[in-house]
Amino acid sequence: MRNKLALSLFFALAALVCAADQQWVLQESTLSYHVSHPLHQTEGVSHAARGKGVCHDGQCDFLIAAPVKSFDSGDSNRDLHMLQATHGAQFPLVSVRAKLPESALTSPSIHLDLEIQFAGQTVQYKQIPFQVTTQGSASRISGTIPATLADFKIDPPSLLSIAVKNEIPVRVDMTWRPQ
Amino acid sequence: MGAASLEQSLSHVTLAAFFPQDQTKPPAAPSIGDLGFPEAQTKPDPLAQARLDKRTHMLKIHQRLGLITTVPLIATVITGGMAGGHQTSSTSRDLHAALGSVTAGLYLTTAYYSVFAPKVAGATTRGPIRLHKTLAWIHGPGMILTPVLGAMAFEQKSRGEKVHGIASAHGAVAIVTAGAYGLAIAAVSFKF
Repeated sequence: MRNKLALSLFFALAALVCAADQQWVLQESTLSYHVSHPLHQTEGVSHAARGKGVCHDGQCDFLIAAPVKSFDSGDSNRDLHMLQATHGAQFPLVSVRAKLPESALTSPSIHLDLEIQFAGQTVQYKQIPFQVTTQGSASRISGTIPATLADFKIDPPSLLSIAVKNEIPVRVDMTWRPQ
Repeated sequence: MGAASLEQSLSHVTLAAFFPQDQTKPPAAPSIGDLGFPEAQTKPDPLAQARLDKRTHMLKIHQRLGLITTVPLIATVITGGMAGGHQTSSTSRDLHAALGSVTAGLYLTTAYYSVFAPKVAGATTRGPIRLHKTLAWIHGPGMILTPVLGAMAFEQKSRGEKVHGIASAHGAVAIVTAGAYGLAIAAVSFKF
């Protein structure tokens, strides 16, 4: 009987170790897209993203999403045009998924494979570099996603008959804390 | 119950307690539902998208027509200098009046596409578009008043009279109107 109880205890501890999954929650974030036009340089900024990360067996899945209409460029007319051009009422969220090894969270820099859902399209970006800074128990992750309008099949908006540039780099700055 | 079977039962109880089924499964990757967005922020709204599409379509026409209007507007201002003095001919006045009529017609059509573009509920006006809209309160009445005063001045000149009364304000009102119109375009075209 003692052997069986010891065995049971061993499996129980093993199960507890395996079940010690780490969960992360997005504490604060700044997402900003940049649009270039010969007459304008525009930044649209959102602080409304929410995110969650789940780590299991040394592998983490992260999901971040923000309402498209939460991006503010300082001009309500431009924001409404952006919402229309990106089909923001039909596809109200932009979401980013990333998988990474748990050990990468403590590295100063990481390269992430991202899957972005935006404007009704799903686009993969491979090996995007991000910087990681640890602040106490929180991790701050920042980097730039080299997104383009063509990637998401968005017709480039124009002003005075001149279209904006295809490149719309998205700057990401997030602080995650363990849950 | 014998000791052996009790032992077996106890070990099953112990194992079952420590290995509940959902703990042995790896946790699922997070989903949008886990993030706690209110349903209103995640639900597709095809009607709102259709309104936005119509709004953008109408404002694109507004933008194009507004730019096209600048051509006869500038020509009207230039010919205005040749239409008002003592030495002016009826031909230059006719040309000025014709250009002014084209300008007013195009302007009203341009305004139509802005005024009747669908409004977005809850959207507040912020940024350079505020100045663009505010200036409409100057060039809008100006674009109505200028041709009216111009017609009065035209009549007076045609009768061989010196332009007098309120009609003499035609030039000044026209300049203010054209200036406000140009500024309204600049407000949304350049970053100040």
